[in-house]
Amino acid sequence: MDETPNAHELFLFLASTAHDMKNSISVLSGTLERLLVDASPRTESAYPQMAHMLYQTKRLNDNLMQLLALYKQVGTPAYPFDVQPLALGHLVDQVVSIERVLLQSRGIQLELDCDPQLIWHLDEDLVVGVLSHAVNNAVHYTCDRVRLAICEQDGWLELRVEDNGPGYPPALLRAGAIATRETAGGVNFLTNSTGLGLYFSSEVAKMHRHRGRHGTLRLENGGRYGGGCFILRLP
Amino acid sequence: MNAIATPLLSVTPASIDQVDWADKHYLVVDDFVGVRQLLRESLRSLGAKNIDQASSGGEAMGLLARVRYDVVLCDYNLGDGKNGQQVLEEARVRNLVNPSTVWLMVSAEKSVESVMGAAEHQPDAYLIKPITEGVLLSRLNRVWHRKQVFRLIDQACAEKDYLRAARLCDDQIAVDKVHELDLLRMKARLMERSGQPTRAREVYERVLAQREYQWARAGLAKIRLANGEFEQARQAFQGVIAENRYYIDAYDQLALSYQNMGKLEEACAILERAAKLSPNSVTRQRNLGHLALRLGNMQMAEKAFRKCIAIGEYSIMKTPDAYLGLARVCGQKNDPKEALQLLLLAQREFVHEHADIQLRAKITEGLVYHESGDYRRARKAGDDLDAMLKASAARPDIPTCLELATLLFAVGVKEAPVELLRYVIRNNHDNPLLLDEVQKIFDKARMGEEGLAMIRASKKEAADLMNQGVLLWKTGKLGEAVAWMRDARKAVPNNQRILFNAAQVMVSCLQQQGYDAALSAEAYEILHHVDHLLPGQQRFAQLMEQLAQLQPALEKGGVAAVA
Repeated sequence: MDETPNAHELFLFLASTAHDMKNSISVLSGTLERLLVDASPRTESAYPQMAHMLYQTKRLNDNLMQLLALYKQVGTPAYPFDVQPLALGHLVDQVVSIERVLLQSRGIQLELDCDPQLIWHLDEDLVVGVLSHAVNNAVHYTCDRVRLAICEQDGWLELRVEDNGPGYPPALLRAGAIATRETAGGVNFLTNSTGLGLYFSSEVAKMHRHRGRHGTLRLENGGRYGGGCFILRLP
Repeated sequence: MNAIATPLLSVTPASIDQVDWADKHYLVVDDFVGVRQLLRESLRSLGAKNIDQASSGGEAMGLLARVRYDVVLCDYNLGDGKNGQQVLEEARVRNLVNPSTVWLMVSAEKSVESVMGAAEHQPDAYLIKPITEGVLLSRLNRVWHRKQVFRLIDQACAEKDYLRAARLCDDQIAVDKVHELDLLRMKARLMERSGQPTRAREVYERVLAQREYQWARAGLAKIRLANGEFEQARQAFQGVIAENRYYIDAYDQLALSYQNMGKLEEACAILERAAKLSPNSVTRQRNLGHLALRLGNMQMAEKAFRKCIAIGEYSIMKTPDAYLGLARVCGQKNDPKEALQLLLLAQREFVHEHADIQLRAKITEGLVYHESGDYRRARKAGDDLDAMLKASAARPDIPTCLELATLLFAVGVKEAPVELLRYVIRNNHDNPLLLDEVQKIFDKARMGEEGLAMIRASKKEAADLMNQGVLLWKTGKLGEAVAWMRDARKAVPNNQRILFNAAQVMVSCLQQQGYDAALSAEAYEILHHVDHLLPGQQRFAQLMEQLAQLQPALEKGGVAAVA
């Protein structure tokens, strides 16, 4: 971090502004969720628009969270990274709690496939952030179904978010390959915010280390429904 | 599990008995009215009826003082005044919340303070905004379940029966995979508090065999530090920081390692870095101030002490040290006037909580004058101190006694410091490091030989006092032994060896002659006093366990409920 007093003041200013923006987004998404829960497509003519507003609000929140984490991270691994043991049931529970209203309002089914008792060691806030971001994306690409599947494979935890849409477009798969490759500096932020999300997710993957291995991220088409697959692997 | 869930799905994690959240009493603390309303709405949809709100730390304290809440949702960042952590600390220290109270700390982004091991008083969970209803419910259930697992362990801890608490941890570890690491961490801490570092080390090594957890590495390093292996401790703490530069506790411990190696510059630099990462700790700013003062870095000392006073304004953790330290800085900067103002302020602020504040303020006054070369006023302060010592039998803690004796010799007072050092030796006759320190103070006052003779005589006096009691006990004269140790305790009220032996004799008496409520209470009082003098001793844990086992069945709090 830059040590000049100016940089420190700027940091405090950004932090307090971010705090304020977070409050606003909290209220916005909370209010929308409440309205959606109380309404139904039959009684409320603006229901689809409200659902879309919620989707956009979540995108806004994801981007802000990712920017904040990355802003702090420039140059040094400065995010207060905190690994704890967590039962997968609790992990999935968090993602479902965050996404439930959005999925419902868009008429999308979420399929879960994991052993809730299995314990893994991870930074809960970051991984929940990555998974719910992936589900948000899947909401955009899917037809009517999203699958969250987590299983252990040869000492790795594989977390998959799959959908039954037409699959990721080639440009996105290319962006994914660039954002997630081993050497840093390959990110093309100019394309769109998807680049930010992928870069953030792959940084989160890399932060998770265990006995000389670190996490990875990849995008592909296929999976159970032949649509887009977002695959996070943690050691 | 492989089911297609409907949109209204729910994952049932780890078979939790669901809690009725409707009947609970809630407090919501946030400076942003929109967030308060939102959280209130979320709680209402869980069925909650009793929801109070506060928009500042001060307002929250007012409500906490009047109402016992089941759940507190508190924002970390509360604008001016107390922050969320300070509200939590004060509520816990003043016993305004029950052990069963669920405390959730809310923040806009992940804070340094939330990384395990940073603060002494931790909330039950940290939540990051935005918080939806579903997230809130699932976290409440999780915390509640965890509290059930730890209920009896926490109770045993509160009773300071650490060995019973450790056994309860073992029972849970065997059956609870989800909380295994939490329980192991707790057990390691209990072993440390019971003065059994070897067993604590085994627990940390068991954790590390599973996964590289920095708290376990730091735990091993702390054991090395306590063992006097300062260089190994230094390397280990540096390793922890290299792995996670936000593990703040490791910085404080690293500084301590350097300090023990006599490397004050390095210690100071480390604390400065830690204070930059996490500036709102009263203790850290105070330690930084003291180190900088010892190094003669007045600018840094002043900055740290001032910051310490500023944070302390809203914190229950504040102590007079920063005021006294800052007064020393003012003295060195040739501003005795401001120094005296600070001393007056400290006496006003702490008159209730710190019985020895007047004495300590006067010592600082003497030091300020002495260091600024005003020997006449320094001597006057010395005479005042002499009179204060004569007027009261109470003595401050050992470091203050040594500081006071040094000052009195320096300003030319002769008898009072000798008496004070006699008190120090009689109450610490088996602590060779301290005896060396006392000898040095005598040497500096050019009274080396008198000092040596006095140390020998006082040491023998205390040893005789103890040996006679132990002899009575070993020859089976239990009644006489108890009476003897009672008198010994009056003669040397702060001698840990004698206090432990007094408690030991009483426990034997209870074991052999049957339970007696008054004698048991007396033994507890003695043990709590020793624990206050020096926490974490093995004999304390052992005697506390033996005493607890002697209590009649009805009074064995919680034990019956285990079955």
